[in-house]
Amino acid sequence: MLMFIVRRLLQTIPVIIGVTFVVFFIMQLVPGDPAVLLAGEGASKETIEAIRDQLGLNRPLLVQYFDYLTSVFRGDFGVSLKNSQPVLDEILVRLPITVELSFFSILITIVLGMAAGIISAIKPYSLKDTTVMIVALLGISLPSFWFGLMLMYFFSVKLQILPVAGWDSILHVILPALTLGAGGAAIVARMTRSSMLEVIRQDYIRTARAKGVRESVIIYKHGLRNALIPVITVVGLQFGALLGGTVLVESIFAINGLGRMIVDSIRMRDLPMVQGGVLVASLVFVVVNLIVDVLYRFFNKRIELN
Amino acid sequence: MTESNKPILEVKGLKTHFFTKRGVSKAVDGIDFSLHKGETLGIVGESGCGKSITSLSILRLIPSPPGKIAGGQVLFKGKDLVTISEDEMRRVRGNEISMIFQEPMTSLNPVLPVGEQIAEALRMHQNMGRKAAWERAVEMLKLVGIPSPEKRAKQEPFQLSGGMRQRVMIAMALACTPEVLIADEPTTALDVTIQAQILELIKDLQNRLGMGVIMITHDLGVVAETCDTVAVMYAGNIIEHAPTEKIFANPRHPYTQGLLDSLPKIHEDQEELQTIEGSVPSPYNMPAGCRFASRCPHQQPICHEQQPELIEQNDGVKVRCWMYTDLWTVKMVKEEAVK
Repeated sequence: MLMFIVRRLLQTIPVIIGVTFVVFFIMQLVPGDPAVLLAGEGASKETIEAIRDQLGLNRPLLVQYFDYLTSVFRGDFGVSLKNSQPVLDEILVRLPITVELSFFSILITIVLGMAAGIISAIKPYSLKDTTVMIVALLGISLPSFWFGLMLMYFFSVKLQILPVAGWDSILHVILPALTLGAGGAAIVARMTRSSMLEVIRQDYIRTARAKGVRESVIIYKHGLRNALIPVITVVGLQFGALLGGTVLVESIFAINGLGRMIVDSIRMRDLPMVQGGVLVASLVFVVVNLIVDVLYRFFNKRIELN
Repeated sequence: MTESNKPILEVKGLKTHFFTKRGVSKAVDGIDFSLHKGETLGIVGESGCGKSITSLSILRLIPSPPGKIAGGQVLFKGKDLVTISEDEMRRVRGNEISMIFQEPMTSLNPVLPVGEQIAEALRMHQNMGRKAAWERAVEMLKLVGIPSPEKRAKQEPFQLSGGMRQRVMIAMALACTPEVLIADEPTTALDVTIQAQILELIKDLQNRLGMGVIMITHDLGVVAETCDTVAVMYAGNIIEHAPTEKIFANPRHPYTQGLLDSLPKIHEDQEELQTIEGSVPSPYNMPAGCRFASRCPHQQPICHEQQPELIEQNDGVKVRCWMYTDLWTVKMVKEEAVK
């Protein structure tokens, strides 16, 4: 198991390098010149050229890239073009907020999704099942920006029981986390249901019944553990979707997280900030994937053989 | 064979039907048999004749809907298993009546250690603690002949061979020392050499524990080797029920005769194997008369009109065929007279 984790950790190195490469060159292709933006409107050609020189923007691209890469591995993410603050400092302020938001939304995804899926699977084609599945279908179909605004309108404006926006207390977490987690919960619910229905037909469930095992134990011990294997994959994938989701949700609810930082920086052509933000986000994604892989093996030891 | 007079399990007029969109499938349609302590009863028949449904019905494991026990009784130690509550039924399953299934590869939970799967039944039915149940599970693995049982108990099914898994299934079924063991094709999925070992094991454990065994199989070789009595099923009915030696020496029902004829024979020169012409009637559309009539070499008009009863002959053999009734002899005489 330890060897496996070490091997998987080593595998992440080329992934990270690949990410920096892609991020760096895509930003080069985006129209807009950071030097022009920094110099402000109506600046002279000389000023722009001077800024460019100062930032090293007129060196060959590959040199710029390798320069960037080596400093990243030294823990230096560069400074913001906008306010000359170190990128890493800014990220370290923003990251915990996004992590907290992601944590609660994935919690909603898992708990709500699996509970709904199990309720559906226990009595398939019943009224309960149909209702849950229709709600899940809505959860998948509704765009999160609309869903977020509706939640905000209903709970904050009409009922006035939850704050509209910002990030101060645990109450502030509820609506954004729900907005972010709803789609995932719907997908997890559908996956859990179909996986459970598949598992419940297996021979070993019949064996457990023939042994005299209680129906609830059959569902949770014999069924769910087997049904979870594909669900874990889906939850892992939801983390990926989360990265995109935080960008939207943080903008809607005015939360100063990593997602919003990336969007603002893209608008400003603040290249080091964008690179740093995306790099950290991918790092988080890679780590989460690693955790998913480990969980996978924990739930299904057969994978060890392959 | 130690036989007391009172059977431990009695099945009377059991009917299990499946209610589907296509109609009602009468998979098991009124069967009777009984099982004594220490006795092995074989239920034989081809695929789809209702033998597995019979065994699942005894433990009330028929998937419902669409399946339903539509009539009859399953009497076990004075209780009718058809009518007792689900909770009472659960206490019978795996405790007093156990079952082994055909597919050892898929019948064990892939993510639980096999020891846990055995210990689970003990904790549930015998109120054993975690540690005691585990120790007993290891003992059971030893009893069914699994080497280094302490190590194996911690392993998961994928780490075991097919034969070993079937041994685990047997250990699981016998952990609570049940009075009846239902073995549904226990050796079908195994190699021939392993088959013999598993049958030997079941027999050996039966002698030690004194339980009654219902051996469900399509393999007449297994029947000859293990069973005291045999019930031959065809299309949801028992058509012949007799002590094993009598069935093999003198099969009465044309279907049983056909089954035995279709076995390859060692001492004769055979070019082709014998088969029974025709096919089994659809369970959705059973004929009014004898269900075997259309395939029977001796068929008469009466066979298509009315279903014969399962009637006991002078020597104790029960057979469901018009040929062994007075009606047949009278009729034959009449026909002779006409000629």
